[in-house]
Amino acid sequence: MSEASTLVLVLLGASTGVVGAMLGLGGGVFLVPLLTLALGVPIRGAVAASLVCVIATASASATVNLNRGLVNLRLGLALEVATSIGGLAGGLVAARLSARQLFVIFAATMIVMGLVMMRRSGQRNVIADTTRDPGVLGGRLREGDTLYVYQVRRLGVGLGSSLAAGGISGLLGLGGGIIKVPVLNAFCGVPIRVAAATSTFMIGVTAAASAMIYFSRGDMLLPLTAAVALGALPGSLLGARLSERVEARSLKILMACVLLLVGGRMALEGLWR
Amino acid sequence: MALIRPRTHSGHNDPQLAGPSRLDRVVEIVLSGGLLLSAALLLAGLLSGRAPLLWLGVLVMLLTPVARVVVVTAGLVLRRDWLFAAVSLWILGVLAFSFYVAWHVEAPRTRPAAAAAGAR
Repeated sequence: MSEASTLVLVLLGASTGVVGAMLGLGGGVFLVPLLTLALGVPIRGAVAASLVCVIATASASATVNLNRGLVNLRLGLALEVATSIGGLAGGLVAARLSARQLFVIFAATMIVMGLVMMRRSGQRNVIADTTRDPGVLGGRLREGDTLYVYQVRRLGVGLGSSLAAGGISGLLGLGGGIIKVPVLNAFCGVPIRVAAATSTFMIGVTAAASAMIYFSRGDMLLPLTAAVALGALPGSLLGARLSERVEARSLKILMACVLLLVGGRMALEGLWR
Repeated sequence: MALIRPRTHSGHNDPQLAGPSRLDRVVEIVLSGGLLLSAALLLAGLLSGRAPLLWLGVLVMLLTPVARVVVVTAGLVLRRDWLFAAVSLWILGVLAFSFYVAWHVEAPRTRPAAAAAGAR
């Protein structure tokens, strides 16, 4: 690997880290297509590198988000159980669907979620009345000097989406944040920043479970993975800090754009192959 | 001195919901430590071109979230938050299961491939 291509990979990892940490995505949605289509990396090597990048992003942004009290540990744990079951069951369901069907289903889901996020970008999930009981899974959130309360609604929808996210994470090399964050924000009443921080906190664990399989099989392209991960570390630290300064509305619009973009690409891939 | 603050009644005023708790701090230290060690190994491996350093760096990176789950589980037990401690233990179990599958089911199938990757 030449020095120039190493630098390109570090920068690729860094930009993935910035966007991933801001939106609670691991970054697999950008990294896998970029590595395979633009740089000609074999798919297994690209997925493996992307999983390590997810772990780097998740762990690094958690160090910033924990400090700010943005990670909702209980909600994350509850959703992670669903994700892990989904991960175990995913293979069974996916075996009955063709790659084409999988792509079309997820593309449609993402495009619909993108449109929902766009429409709802002006709405807020937080309640200014701090005497309101957040419930077992809800929480409090500080924005500037103001303390807000949020409650978790429609937990079933959140658990269901986590189950689906777990199912596809290993298959498509995605962390699953791209499904969980919009659902938590649009349907379950979780503020976008908390949804993103909680998602990044948990997807590191999901990714570690899948990444170990690639690692033990020797599918990991070590110098490539190292370069991308070394970029993702400072990138995600920057992204986690940036998300504090960006308005929640802008974060939602950014998320909607990512959903429409990724959904559109998957639809093309599903319909053309 | 208790390492982790005891949980307040039924958890509704749980300090971690409004700001960082001691458990958050411990988790932060574990994550930062794992990442720093991994980054140092990966950087040294890339600069020197030595594959074993890269291999070790990636391994440390993969084990960082595992260490995080272990610490959170212990923290929840110390807080006597039994329900969520059980949930966390389940996640640890899933991780252990997938690591077992990785090294005892998947890896033996691809021994030659793994050896070739090590030499790369």
